[in-house]
Amino acid sequence: MKNTKVLQGCLGLLFCSIHGLLGSALDCPDRDAGGTRCSISVEKLLDRAIQHAELIYRVSEEARTLFEQMFIPFSFHAQQSHGGHLCTSNIFPIPTSKSEVQQISDKWLLHSVLILIQFWIDPLVELQASLDRYDNAPSDLLNKTKWMSTKLMNLEQGVLVLIRKMLEEGSLELHNNESVTPYLLPTDMVEHVLRDYAMLSCFKKDAHKMETFLKFLKCRQTNRPSCSIL
Amino acid sequence: MNNNHSTFRKIYLYVCVLQEQAKTMERKDSLSLLCVLVCVWTQATYTQGSTQVPEDFTPEPIVLPHFTSCRSREQETFRCWWSTGSLANLSEPGALAVFFHQNNLMPIGWQECPDYTATVENECYFNKSFTHIWTSYCVQLRATSQNITYDEYCFTVENIVHPDPPVGLNWTLLNVSRSGINFDILVRWAPPPSADVQTGWMSLKYEVHYRVRNASHWDKLELESGSQQSIYGLQTDKEYEVRIRCKMSAFDNFGDFSESVFVQVAPIPTKVSVFPMALLLVFGVVGMLFLLVLIIFSQQQRLMVILLPPVPAPKIKGIDPELLKKGKMDQLNSLLSSQHMYNHDTYREDPWVEFIQLDLDDACEKNENSDTQRLLGLTRPGLKGDDDSGRASCYDPDFLPDTEGLLAAHSEMEERHPLVSESSPSTPSPELAETPFFPVQSQPVSQSWINMDFYAQVSDVTPAGAVVLSPGQQNDTPSKNPVDKTKKEEEEAGKEEEHEKKMKLQLLVVDPDRGYSHEVIARQVESSGAPFCSAPEIAYHTLPPEPAEEPHGWHGEYLAPDGEAQMAYFLPEAPPASMLPPVSDYTVVQEVDDQRSLLLNPSARQSPACPPNPIKHLPSMPAVPVGYLTPELLENLSP
Repeated sequence: MKNTKVLQGCLGLLFCSIHGLLGSALDCPDRDAGGTRCSISVEKLLDRAIQHAELIYRVSEEARTLFEQMFIPFSFHAQQSHGGHLCTSNIFPIPTSKSEVQQISDKWLLHSVLILIQFWIDPLVELQASLDRYDNAPSDLLNKTKWMSTKLMNLEQGVLVLIRKMLEEGSLELHNNESVTPYLLPTDMVEHVLRDYAMLSCFKKDAHKMETFLKFLKCRQTNRPSCSIL
Repeated sequence: MNNNHSTFRKIYLYVCVLQEQAKTMERKDSLSLLCVLVCVWTQATYTQGSTQVPEDFTPEPIVLPHFTSCRSREQETFRCWWSTGSLANLSEPGALAVFFHQNNLMPIGWQECPDYTATVENECYFNKSFTHIWTSYCVQLRATSQNITYDEYCFTVENIVHPDPPVGLNWTLLNVSRSGINFDILVRWAPPPSADVQTGWMSLKYEVHYRVRNASHWDKLELESGSQQSIYGLQTDKEYEVRIRCKMSAFDNFGDFSESVFVQVAPIPTKVSVFPMALLLVFGVVGMLFLLVLIIFSQQQRLMVILLPPVPAPKIKGIDPELLKKGKMDQLNSLLSSQHMYNHDTYREDPWVEFIQLDLDDACEKNENSDTQRLLGLTRPGLKGDDDSGRASCYDPDFLPDTEGLLAAHSEMEERHPLVSESSPSTPSPELAETPFFPVQSQPVSQSWINMDFYAQVSDVTPAGAVVLSPGQQNDTPSKNPVDKTKKEEEEAGKEEEHEKKMKLQLLVVDPDRGYSHEVIARQVESSGAPFCSAPEIAYHTLPPEPAEEPHGWHGEYLAPDGEAQMAYFLPEAPPASMLPPVSDYTVVQEVDDQRSLLLNPSARQSPACPPNPIKHLPSMPAVPVGYLTPELLENLSP
């Protein structure tokens, strides 16, 4: 299919860019002390990660709005904010206030971001498959979801690099392997439209989290006092 | 039943809550009213419980306590406000309580409002420790004394964030257009101090509005993430008002507007550039005017001709009307002769030359003349002025006595003269062909001629070789005398009319080659005179310029327009009896051929005095200068 080819092309490009992120022999503005490998500074890595996260967040908001306009009746839209019940609680405790975020360490932030990313890679694919089955889904919506899933995978790679660089740790695996979908949604929501809408809303929220955490990280890198200490 | 009622009421409460949670206040207003009505209805049906609700359903709608709004300014704290409604006893402070609940991982359960704001009524303030984003909250408005929940409202904090307005709004002038009409400005601002954008806790988007001062419509610019934006295309003569507001990116709640900033740019005085232009313009105009005046005065005459061309007066080509007026016959004749159209002066000079007028075509129905008659060319005075073809009836006695009529007729037909007018060139020929002999011929006179053979006597030969004929003597009729008299009268009359006449010519052309030929070119202007038609009387037109003498003492009548004899009408007999010398020689006209020439019997010639054979011996005369018109010439003239 054309779409997969395009995806592969984009992925290829992105991987190349991430490879460049990680360090390539061709383009190497920074050199570490060893000089053996070309590396990109953490700031630049972090900037690129933040850009990714911002884009994903913006696109997720657009996709959700599109979906809401197309498929969600107004009455339910009012009900939606009645819960964040749509998105059940986090898998793990996540800082929810600024003060909490400020108190959290970099490691924790990075790990949170990674967990979130890894949490959403599969549901996005499922969402994409579900949207494809719609009769009158706008192509814009489909493109956005595809793009989001692609970008998310790229972001995952970048965050892994960041973890390696900043925390000097190995790769991290998601501890929780159970399927998240039932956890994600209330069980009484079987109608696929509502389920998809819930997924989009929740993904938007989590993308916001990712962006926020990464920005905080950056802030900490540049200006430690104001970011970490309230 | 209570359960039913309570569930029923819960449903309606939920509906109310849902409406409360509507994101826009506008929607909420209309829905809240509905909610109130419904709630009132449920309250009305609710029999148990609160004694504060009156049993009777009052017509006045009861407003229950409800949340009006919950807002967060910086995503770190938020506040909720509520209204006590119309119930009087609930207005007391402390009658209502707010409880909230967070959907955390660790649900604590309902907690009461951590901080009832002291300064503001009916406000609950949630500080930082109680504010958690990405979690949904529910607040409930409960009566303190009873277990009644009047209102419930659920939200997530980031959805109720209305950022503070940006601060530090100012503008700088970017540029002014060259015309000085438009200008561009750059507007700058700073994010609200409460919003923590440095750490990325809030990412804001700004919206700039501007309008002409006191206008009703605000213009919006696109959302801007940065801290400055340009406004293009403002007008210098207007004062503008600029304000700004912001919202969280990916959310829809705009904060309040900032204070307005007024922008006005004075139009750059461009007099400096205008002044020389105006001066140049003035000088240019003055110079142009000066030049124009110069041209007008220098070329006055030419301009007059160009602008007001003289009206062309009707005139004959080649002939100056002045000539005709002044009567300079010599010039006129020269002009005309040069055009080969008209030569009559020869006739003038040779009064004794007489010509036979012949009417070749019998255009006159009445006149069934024989050839001799035609040969005689009986003339008659009085022509019909209204006959363009010249076909005046040959025997029209009415004209005879009317000299003046004749003259008038002649004058009318003046322009018909084929020699002098180039108009209707075709007319001369038919005229010539058709014109009967012009002057009106008296019938008895003609009749007298009809019966007689008519002989033309060659009376003289002009030096050019033309033959001058005279009618035979034996054909004298007793009418000659009266003819003579009339002729004299006519002469006098003609002379009298010299000054008034235009020419009407009848030409008799003698062509030696062909014999007699005559062309009747125009009608004669005849004086009245009946006996014009007498046989011997033929009006002739003398052609200039041969100043031949008049051996016979002919004198024709001159009808000169201006005193000079233009035409001479010669009566063939004119002084037929007295003036004619004894004719010794004559020729007999045998016939008139179709070429309008007379065939004569050369053998009849006897007169030695007049060379009888001048006809034969005369060389062909091609030219006009003799004063005779040949048929060839006439053919040339008449197309």
